Amino acid sequence: MLPVAQSRGSALRGVLLLSPVQLLANALIAGSLAALIAGGLALVYGVLGVFNMALGQLTLIGGYTAWWLHQVAHMSVLFSVIGGLLCGALMTWITFEVFVRPFYKHHRFLPLVTTIAWSMILDGFILLAFEERPRSILSEAKSMISLGSVLISREQCLMIVLTIVALLLFAWIFHCTSFGRKLRAVVQHESAARSLGINSAILHRVIFIVSGMFAAAGGIFIGIDQNLSPTLAFSLTIKAYAAIIAGGKGNIWGAIVCAYVIALLEQLLVGIHWFGAFYVPAGYQQTVALLFIIVILLLKPSGLFRSFARTA
Amino acid sequence: MNFLLHIIATIAMGAPNILGFNMLFGRGKILHFGPLGVSIVAAYATFLVVMATGSYPLGIVCGLAATCSISAFFAWLSLRLDADGLGVMSIAMHLGLLAVVLNWSSLTRGALGIPRVPRLPFLDSTGDFALLGTCVAALWAWMLWQVDRGTFGRKLIALSEHEWHAKSLGIDRSRVHMLAFMIAGIGSLLGVLQYHQYLYLVHPSDFGFPAFIFFVTVVVAGGPGSVRGCVVSLILLSLLREGLRFVPMSPDVLGPLRLILFGAILFVAVWLRRDTLFPKQRTV
Repeated sequence: MLPVAQSRGSALRGVLLLSPVQLLANALIAGSLAALIAGGLALVYGVLGVFNMALGQLTLIGGYTAWWLHQVAHMSVLFSVIGGLLCGALMTWITFEVFVRPFYKHHRFLPLVTTIAWSMILDGFILLAFEERPRSILSEAKSMISLGSVLISREQCLMIVLTIVALLLFAWIFHCTSFGRKLRAVVQHESAARSLGINSAILHRVIFIVSGMFAAAGGIFIGIDQNLSPTLAFSLTIKAYAAIIAGGKGNIWGAIVCAYVIALLEQLLVGIHWFGAFYVPAGYQQTVALLFIIVILLLKPSGLFRSFARTA
Repeated sequence: MNFLLHIIATIAMGAPNILGFNMLFGRGKILHFGPLGVSIVAAYATFLVVMATGSYPLGIVCGLAATCSISAFFAWLSLRLDADGLGVMSIAMHLGLLAVVLNWSSLTRGALGIPRVPRLPFLDSTGDFALLGTCVAALWAWMLWQVDRGTFGRKLIALSEHEWHAKSLGIDRSRVHMLAFMIAGIGSLLGVLQYHQYLYLVHPSDFGFPAFIFFVTVVVAGGPGSVRGCVVSLILLSLLREGLRFVPMSPDVLGPLRLILFGAILFVAVWLRRDTLFPKQRTV
């Protein structure tokens, strides 16, 4: 829990619960988590056209596996994180092979229902295995760094940097490598890409698993920064999809930008002393994503950054 | 005997809402995953007014107005969004409404719910609720069956099969969606009106995500769009759900096991109906 920043003497005294810079820092932390999950998902949607509603549970599985490896099996943090990522990848591969691949050729809406069923099954297993108690990967107190009026932990700094590095690496692979070109070709026109010899079936698997690894990384992020709880799953899924819908479905960079925007709005909602009269309870935070999409839909039904597919 | 009446009452009281959802999701192939969101609004609007004024007619009028408003909003979303986008957004709406109910404690009492909900004078025993619920459910099923077989049902099917072709034949999508959502909304209101009087309580846990999974499972297992199939699967799955209470396990284990069981049933049902749940478009 970050302490309330002192804003005495500022023109915003009595208006902000936290200083504006602290709010921005918090939005950067929350946005990095959402961007990590939403970016991978947007790619999956762009290629396969399917929604994976078990995403939140896959995120938690990555986090809980890292927690178990570190806290119960007493492995080092590095190996626990790698274990969490691998377990997330494995579960995502199972999700693809059992709950998506047999269905999406029949109709692309079927995985929406099958992954809802899978999310319930995973929820049940998570509750049985880890119970409802909050779990934190690092049990020791976090060391805080003061950057001007901003208080931020070393772990949070590291996670923001790692997220940005991961997204930049992803951008480089996507735009500057042969694999990325194949990926973009499949996104733009799958049939044409296949006629040019691109094995789209393997790409589908790879993309799905990569999105799962991003999600698992998000879960580990939560487990290190806050606490893991089974109740988080659906709000994570909804937030990621809110970013995808608002960003223009299938547009990866639109989804990432909107993930940061939603995180900023969430922080502003609960961090501002509205009209100098009241604070909005933190429980309303998850409704921000919803309101954001509704406003976007009113103004731009196809999303903020609509991607145009090539046509003949 | 009393437990049997309780089972009959709960099945019958759940039927109007599930049958309305079956019309939207099963028959119309509209990925509306927020029926519980409509129920939240219907229940809280009705019973908050009833508790404040003591007048059931006023409560029902307010509940109806709120239900129609939220149904119209969902219908608008269905017209504005792609089908799968609506699926995600309606879940988001459901969770958003639940968050509002849980956090607006000064109005809704948050996680405590609204206790001591008064009952209508003619509803006293479990038998009364079973009788009324069965009559309402039978009447509602008959009405939806008529709607399904009539012009409106055919328009809904035509839109689900091929939207452009249906529009070219003069079918007004906005009007059909609006009506379908209104009918489903009234089904929700009929259900919550009886159920919360029966329990003497309106509680947020009644509108959780597992309840929605139960709805989807009933519709998919019963045969999407089939009123008769839906009623049969509702009876069987409700018996299974209530029967699980007698399994000698602690609630900490039984709750997750119930999630796993109903998730697995839904998956198997979708697997078996993968060709009919969302049929491919007809081609010449």
